[in-house]
Amino acid sequence: MKISLNWLKDYIDIPEDLDLSKLAYDLTMSTVEVEGATSMSEKFKNIVIGKIEQVLPHPNADKLRICRTDVGDGDVKDIVCGGINLRDDMRVAVAKPGALVRWHGEGEPVEIKNAKLRGVESYGMICASSEIGLFELFPFDENATIVDLSDFCSPPGTPLEKALEIDDVILDIDNKSLTNRPDLWGHYGMAREISALYGIPLKPLPSSELPASDGDLRIEIDDSVRCARYMGLRIENVNTKPASFKIQSRIWRVGMRPINALVDITNYVMLAVGQPTHAFDSGNIEGGITVRRARDGEKLLLLNDRELALTNEDLVIADDEEAVALAGVMGGRKDSILEGTTDVILEIANFSPLGVRKTATRFDVRTEASIRYEKGVDPQRVDQAAAIGVSLLKSEFPEARITGKVDNYPRPLEKTRVTASLDWLARRMGKRLPDETIKMMLERLGFGVEIKGDELRVLVPSWRSTGDISLPDDIMEEIARLHGYENFDPTPITSAFEHSINQRGHELERRLREYLSFRCGMREIFTYPWMKDEFIAAIAAPTGDMLKIAAPPAPDERYIRSTLLPNLARAVSENIRFYDEFSIYELAQVFSNREYGSPYDERERLPLQRRCLAGAVVGDGAKTQELFRRAKGILENMSRWAHMEDLSLEQTSESEKPAWADDVVWLDVKREEKTVGHLALLSRKSALAAGIKQASVMLFELDVDSLEPFTSRTNHFRRLPEYPQVEYDISMIFDEKARWSDVESVVLGKKGPGDLIRSVSFIDEYRGRQIPQGKKSLTLRLVIGSDEKTLTSDEIEKSAGLITKRLAKQLGGDLRV
Amino acid sequence: MKEKLAELRRDGEARITAAATVSLLQEAKGALIGRRGALTELLKEIPKLDPALRPEIGGAANELKNYLSRLVDEREEALRLSDSAISSDFDLSIPGIPPISGALHPITQMRYDLDDTFRSLGFEIFQEDDITSEMYAFDNLNFPPDHPARESMDTYWLAGHDEGHGGERLCLRPHLTGASVRYMRTHKPPYRFVYPGRVYRNETTDARHERAFFQYEALVVDHDLPFTAGKVMVKSILDRVFGRDVPVRMRVGFFPFVEPGYEIDMRCLVCGGKGCSVCKNVGWIEIMPGGTPHPNVLRAANLDPAEYTGFYVNIGLDRLVMMRYGVDDVRLFHSADLRFLSLFK
Repeated sequence: MKISLNWLKDYIDIPEDLDLSKLAYDLTMSTVEVEGATSMSEKFKNIVIGKIEQVLPHPNADKLRICRTDVGDGDVKDIVCGGINLRDDMRVAVAKPGALVRWHGEGEPVEIKNAKLRGVESYGMICASSEIGLFELFPFDENATIVDLSDFCSPPGTPLEKALEIDDVILDIDNKSLTNRPDLWGHYGMAREISALYGIPLKPLPSSELPASDGDLRIEIDDSVRCARYMGLRIENVNTKPASFKIQSRIWRVGMRPINALVDITNYVMLAVGQPTHAFDSGNIEGGITVRRARDGEKLLLLNDRELALTNEDLVIADDEEAVALAGVMGGRKDSILEGTTDVILEIANFSPLGVRKTATRFDVRTEASIRYEKGVDPQRVDQAAAIGVSLLKSEFPEARITGKVDNYPRPLEKTRVTASLDWLARRMGKRLPDETIKMMLERLGFGVEIKGDELRVLVPSWRSTGDISLPDDIMEEIARLHGYENFDPTPITSAFEHSINQRGHELERRLREYLSFRCGMREIFTYPWMKDEFIAAIAAPTGDMLKIAAPPAPDERYIRSTLLPNLARAVSENIRFYDEFSIYELAQVFSNREYGSPYDERERLPLQRRCLAGAVVGDGAKTQELFRRAKGILENMSRWAHMEDLSLEQTSESEKPAWADDVVWLDVKREEKTVGHLALLSRKSALAAGIKQASVMLFELDVDSLEPFTSRTNHFRRLPEYPQVEYDISMIFDEKARWSDVESVVLGKKGPGDLIRSVSFIDEYRGRQIPQGKKSLTLRLVIGSDEKTLTSDEIEKSAGLITKRLAKQLGGDLRV
Repeated sequence: MKEKLAELRRDGEARITAAATVSLLQEAKGALIGRRGALTELLKEIPKLDPALRPEIGGAANELKNYLSRLVDEREEALRLSDSAISSDFDLSIPGIPPISGALHPITQMRYDLDDTFRSLGFEIFQEDDITSEMYAFDNLNFPPDHPARESMDTYWLAGHDEGHGGERLCLRPHLTGASVRYMRTHKPPYRFVYPGRVYRNETTDARHERAFFQYEALVVDHDLPFTAGKVMVKSILDRVFGRDVPVRMRVGFFPFVEPGYEIDMRCLVCGGKGCSVCKNVGWIEIMPGGTPHPNVLRAANLDPAEYTGFYVNIGLDRLVMMRYGVDDVRLFHSADLRFLSLFK
């Protein structure tokens, strides 16, 4: 919203020494956000009134003239101009060198410089209204029409803004910061606020004599919940002449286009006090006016020629025949002010915020009126608006007559009363302000204040009683903001606590992330909770269990995730364009359309939501085994680094292969007997469907809520061996079908009392020239040692020999020599 | 002869000490006490001496041989210890081998930094589920029944769960504040806790607007806590994020769930407050809203507003990370684009 400083001066005497930037700062800190200020003298810098003394022909161009122009103090300059309405003694706007103008009213502003035009030196430029941003005040029909300022009699050289009496500063207020302050949507309310901030008196609004009610004008309110008050004034003998320049320029400065005196007056009233008003051509009203709900399907042609099909939820202004206006939103075509209008009905009404918002939203029509009604205007303001409206009508149309008035006011607003404790106020503010200061600050804002002992009794003014102020806390805010939030010192937080913080679940999540990022070299990604259908299909994720968004971001992104894999696959597919090898993961929530309930509130029914962790290890399709081992290693070592109970990876008879997994390369991830996730190679089919052609992708997904963090840091101590232990490597050739897990269990299997094998580990697997087809060589490392003595080399060899024999017998292994 | 021996001793000491490498030392050793060395040559002359002098000269010559030999050994030891195993042409400018290259998401990094900060102030961490109900997203938070955020053009309601009201009408949470009531209902006051998380808005996206973004909210609730306590929380956040003291100001702001509410601005770090395009010439940047929980919110949390009060701050992590590193497009955070993510360590 734009606020004119000059307009404010109608209502308060702003101190001469109040710096504009200080005003903007103080308003921003205590009231509303001032986003900027535009000064007219800046805007029209170097543009002055010029008086053309003589129009001379241009020697080299038929369409150009040389204007011998007085630009002030008898300084006469030659200005070349192509205007079609140039004449001697005309007063014009001269853009002197340094001024900013838009050529022909288009494009970016350019700076005027002295120039030669077709061989003739020209000083500055004589402007069309559109070239200096004044088209709305001085419209023209034909191109190259120069703005004629002969009606303004300031001497040549007078700065334009002074000559037009529009020397003003316009404050730009962020509308969002006004949401809760319906009283500030007009200049009078803003003036009241400034008067309270600086302690300067607020002048009363002009009052006007209104005629008594007239039975001839009939106004009925069918729905007093949606329309608390409706005042109609019938005014005869008016017309659609333009408003006086003073009115036009005022509403223009705060961003509205002048139309004609009647419309401009309604806008002026709204900008002055924040009360929307509307003028109907009473010649087009059949019978009386009824404020009623529309009938479902009822048609209404709006002022802007849009035809609406209304619903019973919409409130309309209707005559005896049909709806003529959408209440509080926009007038209709039928009763609009047209060229021949002579009699009007001026509507000054109060409509409820909810109804107006719903209607405005339903039809996507937001107007200056609807924006104000949506905030909650108090019905008392109708009186202010009527007074200003009538006084303006009288001055713009001295011959007009008010021939009727109806003020239908079925539901007067009750002013809110709030009582607060002064002691409570002091504790909440961390500071005690003198009672007198509190009283004075509130009174300046229009509150009635009474202090009785510790009790602060407040009567809230009507303009703050529509929902804005209702609690002691609201009163505290009024006092604190007027005192200035900056004038309160920070207070340390001093609560005492009985216990230290121990949140295992959170720490687990963080450890998982840090393990994957810092130990496993994976990068954490974020994706949206919604998924593209394409990737749901690629992963073959069942949609039966998925929740859907009612109004999704895109038609093919309806489903929200019950698994992280579709979005992970998408991330792999998009990154593979830039990287051959990478590994990524995401830890986020997934959702299932079942098991509704809530741990917080028995009135709530939330779906099943679990934390999930998924990762992808991506690399060359020829290195699938290496990728598998890396991904498996990540999961095998996770429990150690994340301080949680162990996970195991296996494929058992009751295992079920995930739909997206390769037929061979897949494993269940288990904690104790429960499957908590999977690790698998993304199947060829799924990979292709996700747009992944060459690379191998190992994916894993884990249910984080099934993981069990240790209750404290957990390690296991073993006494250090007293006698040396020896590492002993064995390489044996096995059939391709032999499994490492079998080798391991054979080695460790029969633990007898004399068994000296302490551990066995996998070293490598080899296929190559020396190894027959269908076979592979396995190298394993034994650790051999005794608790009783240092072993001799014979004893070590014997112990290893037992193992090779066992492996040969049970698994058909052949010692490689 | 004695003089010759003495001369050889001096000469030997000098050559051994001067030998700069093991091979030069070996060379010197050969020349002094080797088979064709100077001492050997001298020894050959002993038979020509007076027999009475022979034992004395012979003893002295042997002593010298042992002495020089010991010197050589000492020198060799010294040279070997000081010698580099590597040629002096070794290229020191070769890049190092990086350890693994993983990282946390930049927003997670910032979040954990803030977690550490708030933990040090005795705050607990709380996490709410992403799907919430109208009851917790709006009703409990004093949003009027007709508030526009309740409509589908602002909030992602779930299909099939978007018709009812209260605890049955479900959405992806539009903000974090609802979580505060969940925590308060399940814990005993006083409270100090933070609750980070992702929130969702039905928006048209561009470089500055996203449909999913991360927020970080903190709440402290106690008896008679003045609103000025909030200033401490605000400063803690900004000092941690920017690594230095950042001037802040609190000004009037309006949000349904707080009363009073504040907009909290920080001094523009680009221009230092003089005014620039980043801060729209104001010198301050709106960084987070805050305020005292509205009495209706405390009631929803089963607390008596006459007894308890508190302070919220809520900060948008996406925006903070953008400002901290100069990121110019908020959509990058959810892009999973490794070219972007790999910039963060």
